[in-house]
Parts: sequence; structure tokens; C-alpha cells
Amino acid sequence: MTISASQHRTRNPLERRYALLGVLLIAPTVLILCAVIVYPLISAIYLSLFSIYTPTLKGSWVGLGNYAQVFGSSGFWGALGTTVTWTVGTLFLQIVFGVAMALLLNQNILFRSLARSLVLFPYFVSTVVAVLIWRWLFNDLYGILSHLLIQFGVVDMPVDWLGKMPNAMASVIFVGAWKFFPFVVIAVLARLQTIPEQLYEAATIDGAGVFGRFFDVTLPQLKEVLTIVILLRTIWDFKEFDLIYLLTGGGPVNNTRTLPLIVYQQAFGLNQMGIAATYAVAMMLVMLAFMLIYLYRARRQAP
Amino acid sequence: MMPARRSTTMLANLVTWGLVLLISFPLIWMVVTSVRPQTELFQIPPTVIPRAITFEHYIKLLQETPFLRYFMNSMILATSTTIVVIVVGTLGAYSLVRFSYRGRETLAALVLFTYLLPSVVLIIPLYLMMVKLGLANTLTSLVIAYTTFALPYALWLLRSFMAGVPEDLESAALVDGASRIGAFIDVILPQALPGIISTALFTFILAWNEYLYALVMVNSDQARPLTTGVMNMLITSFNIEWSLLMAASVMMSIPLIIIFAFLQSYLTRGFGAGGVKG
Amino acid sequence: MDSNSIWLRRTLMSGISRRSVLQGLGTAGLAAGLSLPLAGRARAADPVTLRWWSPQASPDQLKMYQTQIATFEAAHPGVKIAFEPTSDEGYPAQLAAAFASKQLPNIVTHLPSFAAQNYYGQGLLEPMDDVIKAIGEDKYFPGANDVYKTADGHYCGTAIGNTAADMLWLRKDLMQKAGVDKAPTTWDELRTACQKMQGGGIFGAPLPYGLNSMTSLIFIGFIHRAGGQIFSPDLAVAIDSQPTYDALEFYKSMREFCPPGATNYSWGESLTAFVSGATATGIYAGRVLANVTSQNPGIADSVTCATYPTISKDVASWTFNDFPSVFIPKDIANMAETKAFAAFLFEPKGYIPQLLAAPGHVLPVLKTIAEDPTYLADPIIQKYKAEVTLMAGAAAAGKNLGYETDKHKPNLKANEIIASNVIAELVQRVVLNDEDAKATVGDIAKKLEGLMKA
Repeated sequence: MTISASQHRTRNPLERRYALLGVLLIAPTVLILCAVIVYPLISAIYLSLFSIYTPTLKGSWVGLGNYAQVFGSSGFWGALGTTVTWTVGTLFLQIVFGVAMALLLNQNILFRSLARSLVLFPYFVSTVVAVLIWRWLFNDLYGILSHLLIQFGVVDMPVDWLGKMPNAMASVIFVGAWKFFPFVVIAVLARLQTIPEQLYEAATIDGAGVFGRFFDVTLPQLKEVLTIVILLRTIWDFKEFDLIYLLTGGGPVNNTRTLPLIVYQQAFGLNQMGIAATYAVAMMLVMLAFMLIYLYRARRQAP
Repeated sequence: MMPARRSTTMLANLVTWGLVLLISFPLIWMVVTSVRPQTELFQIPPTVIPRAITFEHYIKLLQETPFLRYFMNSMILATSTTIVVIVVGTLGAYSLVRFSYRGRETLAALVLFTYLLPSVVLIIPLYLMMVKLGLANTLTSLVIAYTTFALPYALWLLRSFMAGVPEDLESAALVDGASRIGAFIDVILPQALPGIISTALFTFILAWNEYLYALVMVNSDQARPLTTGVMNMLITSFNIEWSLLMAASVMMSIPLIIIFAFLQSYLTRGFGAGGVKG
Repeated sequence: MDSNSIWLRRTLMSGISRRSVLQGLGTAGLAAGLSLPLAGRARAADPVTLRWWSPQASPDQLKMYQTQIATFEAAHPGVKIAFEPTSDEGYPAQLAAAFASKQLPNIVTHLPSFAAQNYYGQGLLEPMDDVIKAIGEDKYFPGANDVYKTADGHYCGTAIGNTAADMLWLRKDLMQKAGVDKAPTTWDELRTACQKMQGGGIFGAPLPYGLNSMTSLIFIGFIHRAGGQIFSPDLAVAIDSQPTYDALEFYKSMREFCPPGATNYSWGESLTAFVSGATATGIYAGRVLANVTSQNPGIADSVTCATYPTISKDVASWTFNDFPSVFIPKDIANMAETKAFAAFLFEPKGYIPQLLAAPGHVLPVLKTIAEDPTYLADPIIQKYKAEVTLMAGAAAAGKNLGYETDKHKPNLKANEIIASNVIAELVQRVVLNDEDAKATVGDIAKKLEGLMKA
């Protein structure tokens, strides 16, 4: 972060002072990030080499033993599979709903800004609130959802939305999509508004229908923004804790228990802080590997 | 041609608004449930239209529970986090955009990399750190913890807002004899203000809604924010009062409703500028 | 960064002494400038503040606690008591964090006896012998504190009440309508009764099938009521046996008489289901009486209870009593005041209204209270005299995972076994996932062995 010596020759004193000022301005950020991110990150890796009992914080060195235990257990791989299922499922719905809704909201409809506000709201509402609402809607005895389905003759018994598979996973994925799809809507909507009208006119002249115009004009134009949206949402969905923990707690059995939930349970339910840190580090490695592959491929495909 | 066009618009309106209402139904249902008497909720089968409207749950929440304390805690917490993050982040973003020194680009990339870190990785060491510093169980510990996700996010947003301020303006001020800091205060800050407001709103909402850190780091009502406070207080083994829970949910969303009503354009701006464009 | 790596290397080189792992953590890095002048420090400096935790915190109970607190504060100027609710599902995580951070409550009440044993076993609790003496050993029912005896000859806590947590609650009106003439005593009778009473939007029973502590605690009872046990008296895993398979089979056969959402039920949902009239039977402690009286008075006259049926007449009943405890963490500030407050909780003037905030739920452990006219004069205790007497008897003979029979050694891992949800996992895998009972029980037995060793 210091001014490089090699550049000194080419720089006048003012520029050098500016560079110093720049370093000074960024210094608080760097210090804070070191304290709250870099240092804890190193600590997490360090802790993962111990066996630690949470309430007493007494530990003993186990080296890579935790890693052998974690990678050797079906728990980790099962949870990784669950995490991937959740991420892919909810991301897919978010993208589909999000793009579709953005296309609709891009039309000239009545009270467009009100409609946009309403669509945006779930994204900003607290996850705790979102989960409470959905648990109430899903309630087996008094929930409106089962009631309406029974009234319309779709089912004849209240549905067990959260307690059995595959319902639980589907519900979690769906609530996740409801909560997070507005992010896609806003991102895509902003991009849609910048697509030149001429492109559509040209396509229409060439005889393209609604779908033709979507696939030939809109989608290629959205490619860039979607790449970034998918990247960000994958990261955020992969590490989502609140929504799943509060909705199902990982159940039934462990069918919706994703990696972040295991970390929490190990650390504070089973009081195994060392193993918990190991899971956390392993989870990060998986994410890192995924990101590198994604970025590498995205870069290769880009012209 | 004309009638066809009109019917398409009608259809678009109908479909869009139908979907919008469907998406907002859970939120509408939250409000409806919160004003119904508890006895009405336990009817089998449930009814859609409330027969009586009552605000008893709101009154009960305010008078008989620590809800207001949690609310105050959340307010202090979200506001403090926002102030810290915005002050530090604005200076940092200015530095990243308008100064050149070695490591600048790497630093910007590293900030983006922190998006990758799951909270659960950091939470255990952070928690132990707070214990050692004697800060465990305080709002301060949560403010520090929240910078882990709020600062990188804010930095990234502010960086792209500041990049949008024309460089000529600043150069002109400098030519007129202003110092860099003077130019920053007189030129950059006013120009970037909408972006700063937008970032502040995002940060506030992130901090207001946070759950996991609050769950782990705070175990006392003195410092418990709304998210964990409401869950701890109302999901119990002796009763689950849905009307009360829904009333609490509505009240938890009040700051959000205010932001939506008066400052919504700032939120969409945040999306358009930094959050996605990158 | 540099200081970090030096510290890392130094710790690694020196070999790890037990406590040193975390010595370095937290000390580095963070600038003092970050400690913002914020309100919210839990430890107030000047007046003595005692923090009191309990999961028993319904609004009525809270009111009584506040009265007790006010009386104590008036008698002890300069001492303030701050009550904070914890929860049955959440306390293991909250206490683990509290112990780790030394941000401890002064006194914790109403947690199961095995929680006290567990923490005491880790050297985290203060012996309660002198508190028991201050209350008066001879006032307790004989043996009331037996579950708190520790290996080193002390008491890790004391009983603040008894709870018959898994009584079978019944609706006489529905029984009559369905032609069920007496309370079921065996599983077959129970199943038949549920079958007859189910219908018209009413389900038979609200048994919990969720991945939570209630399911674990309740199902442990079912294993005992099939004649089995989780551990042998010297704490070898003994779950892999015929009674467990029988209990699983029965529990599975009851699924069709439970509401669809029972797969996520814990105490709150299960209680609400019976109280609101959605199920014909219930499984809960005495709080049913108070909740029915206030929330659904229409059925209050038809509610009664029985001990939960067993597999056959040959197997004796087994009631789950969590033995609600009072314990005090070690090394807290203001120990003398805390102990005074602990003993104060048992003084009749405050203890009786506290018990009566949920009549019949937490039953008195002091003979002197159980016979006190003020206690007996409560309208709910009066109205449901037979039920309360039955519960008191069942609870007095009650057991829990920390103390499965009189012959068992205290199980110091019971708290973590419940928090790990392995027993609930067994229920879910066999009942919901249709996995093979024998193989699954074997699998769970291995997990239990792992937890005992951890």
C-alpha cells in the first residue's frame, strides 16, 4: 500500500503528496477490513486445527484431524449437495421470475411505479418477517394456503409444506425466490430501458415475432447484466442462513440442512467450535473453487 | 391495428397487476392478520375477510412486551452502522477513484472478494475477538460485526457513484486553488450526495434486517435487536400468537415503509449504479 | 498481519497448552477508536444488577416474576434484577455463547435438571448446597433434589418445581361423542380412540415429529413406555433394542392421526393445537389448564388428563419430568446477592403466585407450599383437583434423559444429546422417510456413542 519507489522518478512532489493523501484516505477502510475480515479469516483457519469445547473454550491440537473427519463424513457431502440443490433451484426461479416480471414492468402499464414498489418490497423486508409471514401462510391448521387449495379442490387434506420431502425443499426454494427475485427485476429493468428501440424495429421488419424479438434482441442485450446477477446471487444464495434456519431449521431429518446451518449447529448446538470452523473453511474453499471456474469461463466466452 | 394494440395493453395490464398482487399477497395477509382478534384466527376452516378489526395486538406489543426496547436497539444499531460505514466508505471510495497508488486495483478486487465470505466463517473468530475485547453482548460488538458485510458493499456502491462525478469539476476547483480535501468537500460530496444517500439507505436496511450475528453475539435484552428479539419473545413453548407475530412484523417493517414511501428512487438508483453494474 | 503470523508461529511452536488456543485471539488488530460510545453494555457498573434467565416466561408468569423482583429489590436496596427470557429450543446455544464470553446470567431457572448436570460436569456451575440449606432441606418433598446430586457430593442445582410434561390430555365431550368410554391406558386403546375421535376437521393427537428438542424428549418417553431405555444404568448406549422398534412402529402408526404440520411441531404448536380444539388429545404439561381457561373457555369443562398410555398393561408408566431447576454459574459477580435471591424465590409470598401464574404447570417441590391454603384456593387448582393431583403424583415419579431410572448414573451429556436432535432424527427418518427401523436405530446408536465420547 506504500507508494512505489520506481514511480518516484516520474512523479512531481504534488503527485507524490496526492498519492500519500490517497493512502491516508483508504487507510481506515484497510485497517477495519484487516481487523474484521482478514484477521478473523486467518483465525478461522487456525481454529479449525483444534478441538474446542464451546462453553469453556478449552481446546486441544488436532492438526488436520478435523478436516479428515469433515471430508470423510457423509454429513459434509450431503450438506454440500443440499446447498447446491437450494442454490440452483432458487436461483433458477429468481432468474425466470425476475426476467419475466422485468419484461412486464417494462410495458406501459397503469401505475407502473406503484407496481414496481410492490414487487420490490419482499427484497427489502427482513428475512425474519418474510419467514414469519410464510410460516403463517403455510400453517397446517389455520393457514390460508392449504385452505384455498382445499376450497378450489386441488387437494382434500391440508398440505404439509415444511415437514416432509420434497415439499420442504420446494417451499424453501420458493420462499427464497419470492424474497430475492426483485433483485433480478430491478437489475434487468434498468438494462431493458437502455436497449435502443431501433433494434426491435429492425427485428420486426425482419419478421420476428414476440418470442423472436426476445431471443434475438433482448436476451443478448441482457447477457452481460445476467452474468453479474447470476454471479452475485449464487454467492448470496449459497451462503444464505437466516431464511432456511428460520423456515425449517434444516429439517426434515437433514434434508434442508445447508452448510451454513451445520456450522451454526456444530458451534453452538454441539459445542464443537473447532469442527464448526473446519466446516466454515471447507465451505469457503468450495465457493472459491466455484467462483474461479465461473470467472474463468465467463472471461473465456467474452470476446 | 388500433383495437388489437389496445387489447394487448389491457392484457399486459391485467397480467402484470395480477402477478403484482399475487407477489404482494403475503404482505397484505400480514397486515390483515395483525388486525384480527386471536379467536378469529383459530377458526377451522379459516376465513379470508376479517369480521372484526382490532388494534389490541399492537397495543399489547407496545405495552406488555420489550418490543420498544428492541426497536430502539435496532434503531441505534442500524444508525451507528450506517454512520461508521458511510464515513469510512466515502473516504475510501474517493481514494480508490481519484488517487493513484500501487495496490489500488488489487485492493478494489479484494473488496469484491469479501462478498464471497460467508458470515459463518467470520462469526466464530469475531465472536471470540469481542469476548477478548470485553465487547461481547453489546451493540458495539454488532456494529463492528456488521462492518464485515456493510463496508465492502458500501465501498463498492460509493466507488461507482464517485466514478460518475465528472473529473473536470474537480480539476477546475483545483486550478482555482482549492486543496484536494477542499475540492472533495465542495465538489465531490455535493455531486455524489444522491449516491451517498442511496448507499446509506442500503446499509441501514442491511443492518436493520441482520439476524445471524445478533443471534450469536448478543444474549441480553439490553442489546438485542428486533430480529432476534421478536423471535425469542414470540415463538415460545407456551403459546404462539400469530396475530401478535404479524403485528410485530408490520411494526418491524415501519422504517422500510417510510423509506419506500419517500426515498424509493434512491433505492433503485443504488441498484442501477453500483450493485449490479460493478 | 505480521504480529498475527508471529503469534501463530509462537503458539504452534510452544505446543498448545489447554487454554492458550484463544489467548491471542481478539487481542490484535482492532483499534480502540472503534469502541463507540453506545448504550447497551449489559453490565451496569454502579448498582448491582443480577440477570435472571428462564424459559418459563408467559405474560402471566412475567407479571408474577416482576412482583417477586420488586419485593426483593425493596428488601435489598442497591440490587436490581433484570429478567430475560430464554427458550426451550434456544437455551443450549445461548448458554454456550454466554459461558464462552463470560457474559453470564447470575441465575437460571426452569431449565431441565440435565442441563444443570451437564454444565456442572464441565466445571461451569456453583454448588447449590448452601442455597438448599437456606431454603430449608426439610421443606422439600423427600428426594426432590436427588437429580441434582453430583459425583463430587454436591448439588449442581435445586428443584424449583416438578412438571409432568407428557400427560395425555383428553376432551370428554369428544370421547362421549365417539363412544370412547374411558381414558386409554394402552397404545392400542389410544390409537383406536384417536381414530374414533378424528374427523370433521379435528385430528386425533398433536404428537411432535419435528427436528427439535420436544420430539427427542417426548419420544424418549415412548421408548420407556415400551419398556426400553436409551442408556443402561452405567451409561452404555442401550437404544438398539426391541422396545425402541416397537415405539417407532407405534409412533409411525399415529402419524395419520396427527395434523399434517406435526412434522414441524414443537411445544408451542402442539399445545396450541389441543387448546384451540384442533386435536382431540394433547401431550403437554399442566399449562393446558390455564391456556384453555383463557383462550378457549368453551371446552374448559370437558378437559381432563391421564398418564400417557404404555405399550401394554405389563409395562409401568413413565412420565417425563424435566425437573425445572435453579442453578448459578460459577465465578459470577455478586454471588452473595445471587444466592440470596435464589433462596428468596422459594419464599411462599412470591413462590405461590409464581406457581399460580400457570396453575398445575410447574408443581411445587416444597411440601409446605403444596399444602398451603393460598395455593390450594386457586380456582383452577380447585376446578381441576383430580387432574392436578394426578400430575403431581406422576411428576414426583417422573424421570428424564439425565436420570432415566433411579439406578442410572446422572448423564452429563444429556443436554448435548437433546441439542443434537439425534433422537428426533431417528423419528423423522423412520416415520417420515420410511427408513428401515433396525438399521436406523443402529445408526443412531453409533451417533449416541460418538456424542458420549465427544
